[in-house]
Amino acid sequence: MANMNEILSGLDGLAALPQNVLRITSMLSGGKASASDLEQVARHDEALTVTILRWANSVAYGRPGCTFTLRESIARLGNSTMLKIVLEQKTSAMFAGAGAAYGLQRGALWRSAVGGAITADALARRAKFDSPDLAFLCALLRDVGKLAFDAHFGPKYLGLVEHHIRPDRTFIDAERAAFGFDHAQLGAELASRWRLPERISECIAMHHNPPAAEPAHDVLFDIVHAGDIIGLWAGLAIGCDGMQYKLAAHVRVGLDLSRPAAEGLIASTWDKLRQTESIMDQTAPQRASA
Amino acid sequence: MATNTLSYAKTEVDGKIVVGVGDLVVCKDPGALLVTYALGSCIGVTVYDPIAKVGGLLHFMLPSADLNKDKAAANPAMFGDSGIPLLFKSCYDLGAVKGRLIVCAAGGAEVLSDDGHFKIGSRNRTLVRKIFWKNNILIAGDDTGGTNSRTLSMRMADGTTGVRTQGSERVLWPT
Repeated sequence: MANMNEILSGLDGLAALPQNVLRITSMLSGGKASASDLEQVARHDEALTVTILRWANSVAYGRPGCTFTLRESIARLGNSTMLKIVLEQKTSAMFAGAGAAYGLQRGALWRSAVGGAITADALARRAKFDSPDLAFLCALLRDVGKLAFDAHFGPKYLGLVEHHIRPDRTFIDAERAAFGFDHAQLGAELASRWRLPERISECIAMHHNPPAAEPAHDVLFDIVHAGDIIGLWAGLAIGCDGMQYKLAAHVRVGLDLSRPAAEGLIASTWDKLRQTESIMDQTAPQRASA
Repeated sequence: MATNTLSYAKTEVDGKIVVGVGDLVVCKDPGALLVTYALGSCIGVTVYDPIAKVGGLLHFMLPSADLNKDKAAANPAMFGDSGIPLLFKSCYDLGAVKGRLIVCAAGGAEVLSDDGHFKIGSRNRTLVRKIFWKNNILIAGDDTGGTNSRTLSMRMADGTTGVRTQGSERVLWPT
């Protein structure tokens, strides 16, 4: 059995979330994020400024012949899009080089994080959940436990877990059998150490097993769980864990998730992900495609 | 290199051409290795003409372009029923002949306990079989279903096609 404390205390690269992500997280959990706060975050970060300008002047938001300044760009994109751009940009370095433990190509974990977040955002809007941005953030961070396993064990991880993989067993159960805890629990503990709000760390802990019964039930957990499974169907970051996860029946019913709806989300997630990658690749050349 | 591609995400290192999700690459370069990673419920289809040394690899996500005609028009490789015909046509354009083509397929996995509500992988598998059956094409190598992730590759020098799953490798063609 592994020791969670030992794994987390040895993580130099994951010792802290980027400061800007923490600021945005507290803005989100405290209610609305203000445009001037977002501008302050962006103004002191050159790479982020470039990304915002590229987004605002892209086909999706721009106008032929017009070039927008940073302030105009922020106004044009709106708070919700701005939040997503900042979060995507600031977490990309954290996820970029990871994934070897799960047999993933470089960049695949980041792609999975963003793809799942895009899906969760769409599911949240579809379900009229009051904070799609919070669903986006939680889904983006849902697999930070994989980062921790990856940083601690590297390629040795598979050798430790593969003897516990069974065709009828979820990968979560295999991880628990191998280490005594799974990547969702490890991620939740990491989120607590980052001092993220409790609801976010709980959401990370529950993203493979969202509780069905009240009072523990939370639509946020359901949305992030469904976003994760739809991400698998979309081919995002399927590594040594394969498709060995379950979609909770109450989530399918509660979110009114049909096959056509799921297929529509798979297709639209890829469109948005490609748009994000196309812009991010221009400012983050170190992130190779999966 | 004669490569015809609709690719969004491909990298080339030492002849390796990575075919992304919802992507299609055909080529005529004997030094190339076509590879696609992370096949879950998606399906990878390879075709190869051993005389013309022309081949291609498609990684499609969903069975039917009926889901969204606009998306299918913009990216036919996203769907099986638009991507597979395009894969064949693109190979013909490079000199391949239908009667000589060797076809392999891998992927089409399911999440555990789907309970038959979604069947994304199963519907992809059915679509592949239906298209090939209707067109009198035999699948020479098939590794589909289950819950595992797969990596599918094809060597353009001789059409050797293999699948890697959880560290173990299997040759699909030649058998």
